[in-house]
This record gives sequence, structure tokens and C-alpha cells, in this order.
Amino acid sequence: MSGEEEENASELKIGEEFLKAKCLMNCEVALILEHKYEQLQQTSEDPMNQVSQVFEKSLQYVKRFSRYKNPDAVRQVREILSRYQLAEFELCVLGNLCPETVEEAIAMVPSIKTKGRAHDDDAIERMLNDLSLIKKFE
Amino acid sequence: MFLKVEQQWNVIVSPEKLVAKGLMLQKAIVVRLLDDFASKKANKDFGYFINVTTVENIGDGKVRHSTGDVLFPVSFSGITFKMFRGEILRGVVHKVLKHGVFLKCGPVQNIYLSHLKMPDYKYVPGENAFFMNDKQSRIEKDVVVRFIVIGTKWMEAEREFQALVSLEGDYLGPIS
Repeated sequence: MSGEEEENASELKIGEEFLKAKCLMNCEVALILEHKYEQLQQTSEDPMNQVSQVFEKSLQYVKRFSRYKNPDAVRQVREILSRYQLAEFELCVLGNLCPETVEEAIAMVPSIKTKGRAHDDDAIERMLNDLSLIKKFE
Repeated sequence: MFLKVEQQWNVIVSPEKLVAKGLMLQKAIVVRLLDDFASKKANKDFGYFINVTTVENIGDGKVRHSTGDVLFPVSFSGITFKMFRGEILRGVVHKVLKHGVFLKCGPVQNIYLSHLKMPDYKYVPGENAFFMNDKQSRIEKDVVVRFIVIGTKWMEAEREFQALVSLEGDYLGPIS
């Protein structure tokens, strides 16, 4: 990886390979892992024995820390956030932490306010409003 | 952050599994890939290996002359979890010590929050020791904390990551 001292997610410096990699929100991971777990339940009597500890801990974590459970809502969250010219990483941090105010959103993802990017406070406010609507109608 | 990454691994299949009938060989290759993926646990570049989502391609096998095993290059997508410096995450406290607390977050268990990185919190000793600030906000076992990652370290021998985290910043701290 290119210079580990340089890594700083708050400035979106996470290495080329990860900027291009697809990031997943907790709620998306929850859908995928739960689906896998259900498949295992059908073929095995003791599905927890069939999965690695890493899988088990991750499943517990994403179930607890997903703000959106319904697959349609999960899809909508990504769709709405995709309209705002965010990097994959930023999109997922916002989708995971669900900030309630513009100030909080900037604290969670400082890189959205860096120079040359088109996010003024109004755009961020609109984005948070759009997101809060999904939560209400879920 | 959970990542969807494409990787190419060499999967080794022993000769007795080389059954040409139907999808038996394919199945043997995929089963072996899933086993390898689970037992490898993590690596430095991509973090923890959680799940194989799709097998994209299985290349031509090469026979290893010494053993007769066949080695297949397999491309697949999988989900991994890696923590980045500067990333903000939520974790759960699982151990309280005098000089700080340990948190877990996803597959990572060794996340240390030192008392130096939460200066307004004071240690309160007792059977169930905890940290508390002057607004009565408590950091104790099973509490969810929002933190920022200040450093990560890959430990090759254990195949685990350690992380140091901090509460210094806006909107960080315990979440009720």
C-alpha cells in the first residue's frame, strides 16, 4: 500500500485500491449475511457451526448496527446518497451513522467539505432530509 | 468499513476429488475455496475475510508433479472488513481497565481506547468499574461508543488487527 503514514479517511486518503473498491453499508452486509445464514439453516442442523467466527461476529454486528432493515429501504438509501456525488466510502459512512444535522454530517465525513467539492450546507441538509424520510416510511 | 473486493486465489484440489462427472469438480473447488477463505481469516491488505459472494471464474488447473494435486486459479468477489485511520465507527465496550477500555467492532476484538484519548472521562473503580465525565455520561461494559480510528496494526502471527481509537472530536462518545 502507498505510504501507511499518509492514510487518513477523514481526508479520503485510504489508498487507491480502496477508493475504487466498492464499500458496503452495514445494512447491505446484513442482508447478504442473513441470506447466507438462512441458506445454511436449510441444509444444516447447526448453521452456527458451519460459519467462521469472523462471519458470526460480523453478522451480529451488522444486525445491531443497521438503521434500515427492509431491503427496499436499504436500496433507497444507496440510491438517494448516490445522487450527491459522494465517494463510496463517504456514502457508506453517512448511511451507517445517519447523522441528524449538517454539522454532525460534516464531523462524521469531513472530506465532503474539502475545497473544490460541490457540497454546501444546503445540499447536505437536503440529503439528510431525504434520508430521514426513508426512516419514517419504513 | 465493509468492502466488496475481487481477489484471485490458487485453490488446491487433491486427486481423489477430480471427478469429471457433472459439477462435482466445480463443487470441490468451491468448497475448498470457502474453507481456505474461512481459515485464512484475514490479511494485511483487505482486512478480515467475511464471506465469498460470487465465484467469477475458475481457470485451467495445473498439476503439481510432486503430489498430483491440481492447482486452480479462482477469481471471486468477497466481503471484507478493514478499519482505516480517520474512520468513524461504532463499537461495543467489552472490557474496562484502569487505563482505558477495550471495544469490539465487527470482527475486530482488540480496539483500545486509552484514558488519554478521552480526557474528560475519569475512572471510577469498583466491581463493575466504569469511566464517567462530569455530565454523568458513562462508558461501561456493553455501552456503544462512537469513536475515531487513530491507528491500526496488523499482527501477522495472530492474523488479527489491533486498533487505537479516540473520542477527541465532535459527536464522538457513548451512544444511549
